[in-house]
Amino acid sequence: MSSMTPETLSRGIDAVERNARGQLIADDRSKVMRTHVPWALLLLLIVPVTALLWQALRWFSGQPVGWFGIGWLAILTCAVPAVALFVRTYMHSASVNRRQALIAMDRTLGSADRLATADDFMRAEHPNGFQKAAIEDAADWVEQGRIADVATRETQALSRQRAVFVVPLAIVLLLSAFGISGLERTAAASVAEEEPQPEPPSVTTENAVAQTPPAVQETEEPKAEEKKQKPAAKRAAKKSSSPVSSVPDEAEESRGQLTEGESSESQQSSNPSSAQGAPSSQGQPSKPDEADQKKKKKKKQKPKPNQRKPKQQEEKKEEPSGATAGQGSSRGSNNNAAANDWSSKSQQATKEDEDADSDDDAEDDDEEQESRGGVQPNMRDRRPPVNRDLNIGLGRARPNPDANGRGGPGAQKKSRGVASLILGVPIPDRITGQPNKGRTRITQQRITPEGEDSESVPAEDRGTRNGPVGPIHHPDFSPWLQDYVKKYFLKRRETADKKSDDTTATDKATEGANKG
Amino acid sequence: MTLTLDDPKAARDAAAEFNKVHAAIRDEVGKMMVGQEAVVEGVLAAMFAGGHVLLEGVPGLGKTLLVSSLGKAVDLSFSRIQFTPDMMPADIRGTNVLSESETGGTKLEFQEGPLVANLVLADEINRATPRTQSALLESMQEKQISVGKRTIVLEEPFCVMATQNPVEQEGTYPLPEAQLDRFLFKLVVGYPAEADYRTILRRTTTNEAIELSAVSNAETVVRMRQIVRAIPVPEHVESEAIRLVMGTQPGSDYCPSMVNEIVSLGASPRGVQALILAGKVRALREGRFAVAGEDLRAVAPDVLRHRVLVNFQGLSEGITPDNVVTEVLKHVEPVTA
Repeated sequence: MSSMTPETLSRGIDAVERNARGQLIADDRSKVMRTHVPWALLLLLIVPVTALLWQALRWFSGQPVGWFGIGWLAILTCAVPAVALFVRTYMHSASVNRRQALIAMDRTLGSADRLATADDFMRAEHPNGFQKAAIEDAADWVEQGRIADVATRETQALSRQRAVFVVPLAIVLLLSAFGISGLERTAAASVAEEEPQPEPPSVTTENAVAQTPPAVQETEEPKAEEKKQKPAAKRAAKKSSSPVSSVPDEAEESRGQLTEGESSESQQSSNPSSAQGAPSSQGQPSKPDEADQKKKKKKKQKPKPNQRKPKQQEEKKEEPSGATAGQGSSRGSNNNAAANDWSSKSQQATKEDEDADSDDDAEDDDEEQESRGGVQPNMRDRRPPVNRDLNIGLGRARPNPDANGRGGPGAQKKSRGVASLILGVPIPDRITGQPNKGRTRITQQRITPEGEDSESVPAEDRGTRNGPVGPIHHPDFSPWLQDYVKKYFLKRRETADKKSDDTTATDKATEGANKG
Repeated sequence: MTLTLDDPKAARDAAAEFNKVHAAIRDEVGKMMVGQEAVVEGVLAAMFAGGHVLLEGVPGLGKTLLVSSLGKAVDLSFSRIQFTPDMMPADIRGTNVLSESETGGTKLEFQEGPLVANLVLADEINRATPRTQSALLESMQEKQISVGKRTIVLEEPFCVMATQNPVEQEGTYPLPEAQLDRFLFKLVVGYPAEADYRTILRRTTTNEAIELSAVSNAETVVRMRQIVRAIPVPEHVESEAIRLVMGTQPGSDYCPSMVNEIVSLGASPRGVQALILAGKVRALREGRFAVAGEDLRAVAPDVLRHRVLVNFQGLSEGITPDNVVTEVLKHVEPVTA
């Protein structure tokens, strides 16, 4: 027992508390930081993902892809989680009270709560002899407590698994974002190499652009530019596949000029609004048109929904532009590749689509006849399901259109009478007899038995136990349970004895019979 | 009589006296009891804390010998009651018997039962019917016996030390929860170590006779009890005791999930009292002047194991009340707020 005055002891305990509290707060922050490291690791992905999305968006919208410095991206990627972790750690208000600090120090020193107890008793107004003795007892531990390190709490281990997953992912995303800009530059360079002399803009394109409203023109221009960058080989293939590919460029231009509004027969094929009902044979042979009509007839005979679309696509590919004029196809005379793209785009929701819709409507009846495999109810007519009324008819042999003879009473009838009182279908809660075991199948295989060699093991005396059995654990079961278990085993033993007696009697009887 | 010690030196002297008396009794009992130091410590702690003890162990471990030795070492009035199934409450409390008066007539005279003593050994308490077991309830809690219109206040110190055999359950009656709750400790008496067997053999199978002498008396024990009760308890230790007991109660804020699943009955407020009193004795034994959290945790198994009732699910899974207490001790953290 040291000879400390109460004031000195109080100051000493204060110092111990400050020491412990400071360490606990630091420890707590460290713990918070470790806890949030997995969360911060996820933030590593923010910058790479954003950069990648930005680049991808610009790539797909056809805009020139910007280029970020990989170094800046990497710095930004690391900076975001670091700043977030720092802010989160220091925003955390570590609340360590005085008692907590002293108890932690007591635990560190192994002083059996002497410091916390002394601090508690020092606040008492009239401490008794034992309390004073307890306060004095703490004096021996105060000096140690001033310099002792509070035992660190259990800290959460860093999630290495997540780090292993997230860091490479961030790097890959970062490189991908960087790679898109590289890809863009490479692509631009290759296009430039393939098309050293860009084709002169066709007259048709200019005319078409002039016909379209300015707003549409603005939106479609980037698309046209993008299309322009397509390889020349693709364009050549397209030209060769087209029936009018043999038409020289001049002819195309002249046809395009005619669409401007000059009165001409060819205008019928090129102007979608005036092309209905007047199939044009200009500029193309009539045979393909007939073949198309035949095909369409065949298509109506076999309206398989899964086959229809590919066929249409094939037809669209095979059809020359003028061949569809009789059906109002707007694709008519636009054989110029450059003009074809934007014009087809601008006329997407026009007559062609309407015709396609009308075709669908015409084929619905045929579709209804097909079985849908019960997967989907037939809801086309929007009629309610059949009322399963048992009424045969409405009287005078007039059949009830809704009654088909199946099922039970309708909802209205169910809500009345005894049926409404029955809450559910009564099911017997116990089924007598045995359930069907099913078929018993015995498979026999004819094999010749083969002998196997085995080493005989001589019987040996195992000897008696040398050591003690050791303590036998007796579970603290209630007497009735132990009694129950005991009875069970007694009964089982009786059954076993009975069986053995029966077996012995049977053996004796057999022996007697044999002797006889 | 309340002990008030304002001087820390007097408090230190009182604590030293307690340890001296404790050591003397322990050494004296230790002459007879070998290899059961923890049980002896527990029995003495219960006696100094003013509680009763339930000793549980298989036959032949010296439970009865321990209590009878304690009676001899402390010079207390000692009585032994061998509980049997045909025993009646009157057999232990006492009853009015018809006796001849000096004038030649007859009169009803009250004959005290064996319960009227300082140290009562209730041997194989679970062999008596619940009716007879219940006769102990009043004496254990209120330290008095009511027979008819007569109330007999039992002399201090009064301590019931009961024994029961956990294995042989045929024809026994498990103690009711109200009875169990009145025991401060339930001490499980285990087998002695190998080295202790030699000492036991030497002392019991030879002509060597061991005579126990009284090293203390009833007044000393009462004074020791007062010293124990004077030990202060810091606020955070009180809170910890409360939480430990609440941790055994299903549905409380401090109980682990295991308690909710397999405990049907937890410790009562009497359990907190027992925890604190036993903690005080341990603090004194450890040379401290206030109860610490570690004292509570050290005595918690002995204090709580008979107050926790495991349900059938727990029994079927082989979970004992000791497992529950261990889980509660792990779950309830020291109070810092």
